[in-house]
Amino acid sequence: MAPRTITPFGPQHPVLPEPIQLKLELEDERVVGVVPAIGYGHRGIEKACELNEYPKNIYLCERICGICSAIHGMTYCDVVEKLWPLEIPPRASYLRTIWAEMARTHSHLLWLGLLADAFGFESMFMQYWRIREKVLDILEITTGHRVTQSVSIVGGVRRDIDDDQKKHCIEVLKDVRKEAEALNNVLVNDYTVKARTVGKGVLSYDQAIALGLCGPHLRASGVKEDCRTQGYWAYGDLSYEPIVATGGDSFSRAAVRVGELYQAIDLQLEAFGKLPEGELAAKPKGNPPANEAVSRVEQPRGEVFYYAKGNGTRNLERLRVRTPTYANIPSLLVMLPGCELADVPIIVLSIDPCISCTER
Amino acid sequence: MIMLPTVVRNLFGGPATRMYPVTTREPFARARGHVEFNEDLCNQCGTCARRCPAIAIDLDKDKKEWILHPDRCIICEVCAEVCPKDAITIAPQWRAPFYKREAIIYHSKAVKEKGEKTGE
Amino acid sequence: MIDKLKEISKDQLLAEVKKYADAKARFVTGSANDLGDKLEITYFFNASPGMDLSALRFSVGKDEEVPSMTGIYLTAVLIENEMKELFGLKVKDLAIDFGGHMMLAQDSPVLPMLKTEEQLAAGKKGGN
Ligand code: SF4
Ligand code: SF4
Repeated sequence: MAPRTITPFGPQHPVLPEPIQLKLELEDERVVGVVPAIGYGHRGIEKACELNEYPKNIYLCERICGICSAIHGMTYCDVVEKLWPLEIPPRASYLRTIWAEMARTHSHLLWLGLLADAFGFESMFMQYWRIREKVLDILEITTGHRVTQSVSIVGGVRRDIDDDQKKHCIEVLKDVRKEAEALNNVLVNDYTVKARTVGKGVLSYDQAIALGLCGPHLRASGVKEDCRTQGYWAYGDLSYEPIVATGGDSFSRAAVRVGELYQAIDLQLEAFGKLPEGELAAKPKGNPPANEAVSRVEQPRGEVFYYAKGNGTRNLERLRVRTPTYANIPSLLVMLPGCELADVPIIVLSIDPCISCTER
Repeated sequence: MIMLPTVVRNLFGGPATRMYPVTTREPFARARGHVEFNEDLCNQCGTCARRCPAIAIDLDKDKKEWILHPDRCIICEVCAEVCPKDAITIAPQWRAPFYKREAIIYHSKAVKEKGEKTGE
Repeated sequence: MIDKLKEISKDQLLAEVKKYADAKARFVTGSANDLGDKLEITYFFNASPGMDLSALRFSVGKDEEVPSMTGIYLTAVLIENEMKELFGLKVKDLAIDFGGHMMLAQDSPVLPMLKTEEQLAAGKKGGN
């Protein structure tokens, strides 16, 4: 038997934008065991949310994650609204849907770029990020900021999309779709890409459920499960069908995300077409009552889970946030043993890890 | 080879990036850039300081000072929305980076009228 | 209000969790809450495929031991370690024990998620 060595992977590693350490136990080049070590980015946001007044928490929750910032803010508002419960106006739910899908578009473009980068396919990485910049620009035009959009408030949204902006957004989105098609064509047909992803990090249907995965990672193993099927906000009105792949490997995960990228653009175009007129926000009455609520929303990386407990004061008694990566990290314990050291970066990346958001 | 059309287009197209900070893009009209304060309108009611999520606004009621800590401000636009006198606006230009944590002190000039509600 | 919330005692926990595992439900997450003298633990499960959430809830005293469900759902390892560190929940037989250093470092606050005195006082006044 070859001698075993322990190799640390991270916390600073070129493929990881964020700090996570994997202690890999290696036998020659083969991984035989792995222990993830997280905790480099723990900020105590859940505790801070208990001490802050509830309207101020929106801005804190938006800073849990930089990429799904808008959706974190919206989900927080959603869970607090459920404490009353408070109905939000239809225009607000459409606008939330549009911004959530814009966030998904740019997040998937970011991930596809990072995937290309992990192969060493630098020019493709830059192409993806060039397209992504257009999406960020329309986000900035409509919300006021490219990263922390801060558009949601308890009861609705703060900003409106007027007709000029709407026209501009539709144009840009069509353009983005055309350019992304050209690049995705390369990604799904290229020989090297396939050699590095097909059959790597395979999880079967049963394993995926037993590990409690979520999001594209779960759907790539053939489980047709997506929070958007609950029909929150405007999703109930839009023609929406989860995208599923059956391979369960890194390639299927890429394929699901490519599919969702197009779907997100289509959903935005459809929502723009159906955008109803009306109020932007309903006014909450008094403080959140003593009640409990759960809100599950689909983020680009999977299901985000918010649990809130009010106690009739301006502060929440408890707020629990479970981000998608929190559920997806344990899958590394199963996927990595048995693979080559060189495949580790791509398998880790295939769950689209977002570590700081995991630790909150 | 499937990448070829993209490669060719790039060869003849201009760069997609800008030479920041030599050339900057015009800020979008409704972007949130920085906080601007109008001394003539503020009457020291204190709503903005209470509602600011980042505790970036301080008031000194005796000296009638309105103090902004730009290093804490997250440019969320809450203060501008809640100010009953519209003394705060959000301008689209980004702030330049700074090296020191310095508060900006303004002097509020408007006076509270009798019986006027003070915020919430 | 959470639909399909089932109150159990901590001795029933493993048997109840086993039922979910046999029904091929997906473990979603857990949440702990400090009630002053007790900890209230809630585990959430999703009947897959679909979007059907149900929950198990039990409360334990702060010095009671709780069995770990990592033997049934490996994925609970992060949440159980987190509760152990941040709330001081005493979990037995963890599959991977981070030894109190998953989220926290050597000189971090101890059990930071427990309620402060003021919070408990305010909760009694305003709530329920
Ligand atoms: S923009 Fe937001 S953070 Fe900045 S001073 Fe106003 S309320 Fe405070
Ligand atoms: S008038 Fe406006 S700027 Fe002045 S203290 Fe009140 S809210 Fe703040």
